[in-house]
Amino acid sequence: MKAALAMAGAVLLSCAALAQQPAKAPGKAGAAGFPDGPGKDVLTSKCFQCHGPSMWTAQRQDRRAWEATLYRMVGRGALWNEDEIGAMASYLGTVYGRKAK
Amino acid sequence: MRELVARYLSQSISRRTFLKGLAAAGLTPAAARSVLESVVPSAQAQDVEGIRVVEGTGGECFAEQLAASGVRYIFGNSASEDAHFYEALVDRPQLKYILTPHEGPGAAMAAGYVKASGEPAIVMQAAVVGLANAIGQMFNAYKEQTPLVFYSYRTDQTGRAGRDGFEEVANQEGIVAPLTKYSWLARNASMIPETVRRAFKAAWTPPYGPTYASWHSDLNDQRTRAEVIVQQKVDPRMRVRPNPAEVERAARLLVDARMPLMIVGDEVTRAKATAKAVKLATLLGMPVTQARSVHANFSQSHPLWVGGLPVGRISSLDFPKNPDVVINVGNKLQHNSPNPMIGHGVKFIDMRIDSWSMGNVIPVDVPLVADVAFGLDDLIAAIEQLVTDDLRKRYAARAEDVRAFGEKRRRLSGLFVKSPDWDASPMIADRVTWEVAQFADRDAIIVHEAGSVAAHSFGFNPDGGRELFFYMGAHLGSGTGTAAGVKLARPSRQVICLTGDGSFIFGPTALWNMARLELPVITVVYNNHAYSGPHSRVIEKVPNGRMVETGHFVHDYLGKPDMNMAWIAKGFGVEGEVAHSPAELKAALARARRATMDGKPYLIDAQVARVGVAWAESPWVPAVRERGEPERRM
Repeated sequence: MKAALAMAGAVLLSCAALAQQPAKAPGKAGAAGFPDGPGKDVLTSKCFQCHGPSMWTAQRQDRRAWEATLYRMVGRGALWNEDEIGAMASYLGTVYGRKAK
Repeated sequence: MRELVARYLSQSISRRTFLKGLAAAGLTPAAARSVLESVVPSAQAQDVEGIRVVEGTGGECFAEQLAASGVRYIFGNSASEDAHFYEALVDRPQLKYILTPHEGPGAAMAAGYVKASGEPAIVMQAAVVGLANAIGQMFNAYKEQTPLVFYSYRTDQTGRAGRDGFEEVANQEGIVAPLTKYSWLARNASMIPETVRRAFKAAWTPPYGPTYASWHSDLNDQRTRAEVIVQQKVDPRMRVRPNPAEVERAARLLVDARMPLMIVGDEVTRAKATAKAVKLATLLGMPVTQARSVHANFSQSHPLWVGGLPVGRISSLDFPKNPDVVINVGNKLQHNSPNPMIGHGVKFIDMRIDSWSMGNVIPVDVPLVADVAFGLDDLIAAIEQLVTDDLRKRYAARAEDVRAFGEKRRRLSGLFVKSPDWDASPMIADRVTWEVAQFADRDAIIVHEAGSVAAHSFGFNPDGGRELFFYMGAHLGSGTGTAAGVKLARPSRQVICLTGDGSFIFGPTALWNMARLELPVITVVYNNHAYSGPHSRVIEKVPNGRMVETGHFVHDYLGKPDMNMAWIAKGFGVEGEVAHSPAELKAALARARRATMDGKPYLIDAQVARVGVAWAESPWVPAVRERGEPERRM
């Protein structure tokens, strides 16, 4: 159990100052199936280098929660500006928001 | 008399028996002593610098060899079969025994001391039953290449071994063989010092790693005579310079590179070569990154620092996007993906003392097997011979590009303070980290065992700034013990331990050591009453499954009842408090500072929000009673 916990913890630390365990990184090809919409391009270009599609498809939350998630990733090393974060949060809140479930 | 001398030389009789025999043969006491003195040099290596013969119990010989091996601190848990060793400590105050209430945190404390001091230490367990508790931290030491010596006796005595007796297991020393560089069972009492010596030699010969020594418990009680030899006489002092021809090849590759990239690792810190790594990077205007490591091995505020490898592959760096030459200086390059960290199209220079792992996954164009301090010296010297004024201008322009990216990175990486939950209560982990970073001394040491927490905002700088001790090995329960050991080694530095609630609860007993030894560590527990990492990971693996649909997660919630870490700390003699909000956290940190200034440790149980999807306000807890089963009230 301890190892499993550590692995999981390491994943969440993955974009921090110290490199950690990799998530499945599909590249832009993994964006297949993601609905088109404003913010999709930013998402696929900025997030898919580290994360697989299930990172999004698994999560259903409103825009504000997506925004908080994205700012949490900033603390782990993601380099986005506020406009990009806003665009991604709006896209995810629309496509993978609570109502979309 | 000839037979008497022969028996004495063969160690069949003791010194006292020898003298009695001489007296019985008619020699006066003075004559007997004269004979003894004439015999001793041929029997012993006395008077040879650094080598002497010790007579006494196995336990005494053990203690003498530890002192000769340079040990100051012994970490151990109570073990009745080490009685003669404890007896020997009474008159050897240079050996300081630290009683640890659990072998796991005890070993973590020993490892923390070794890592922070660079000095040898030993950690002792009671037989295989105690060893089993310490193996988790032995795993960490193995993964982190910490030169820590472990010892535990075999409870089975020589006269009854092999009968599946009390605390007996076959091949006890074999259990830890995959986790150690050297694992050995001394066959008789006179071999105890040599076994211990070799354990220290193997541990401290690069690449470092843990070792294990063992012997049957009755050997501690037996009287024997054995040579005790100081570490300097057995240490091969393996500080290797790289192959000069390979240095030339590496220099040429780096000088001609369009965009080189340097990865740094823990060998840089261990070799005290961080300033040399800066010098090499500066010479070439070369960006610097780091893969998973114990320490922050390069200043994070340096203009050439481009951040850590996001997912352990250089392709995931924001900058530089396409390096053509990569040099690794002392990083283990732990691979966690089928994809290699460095793709095949990139020229790769690997400078490490750990030749064992070179070339296993990533093809190496230029191997530089070396102590990285020497390796960097030689490489810098070779590059300086090749650099022209035109090249210097090119490197300066490259450095400017790196600096520009660094400025952008610093500007954007601080945006997490814009989170809509920044002022929330319970707090988001980023807020806790940020507050601790604002609070920490400029040269604080951060011990980090908070798996889901990013250690941003500290601006680590191994050259005189804040230092990091990260739980690279990942066996949990190490943080508190490590922090205690680090503080023991570095008493003048502020030591702050960041730990998750899940991690903390695996090893809180080291708090008792902090209280007893007056090691004023500040421990901050990120307490979200959950294993949040595994929560998110299972959802990612089973995104639309029954767990999400029903909210029935059996594996992640640690509430009902909530654990109060401040109360746990008080039970171990450490003052602490619960902080629910940023304001309470600031106030708690101020009280922590006052406590540590009085030499007292302090713990803050920082209430942290559970984040991510599918967390219910009051998470489901699996029942263990069958439906209709009567309640268990007595």
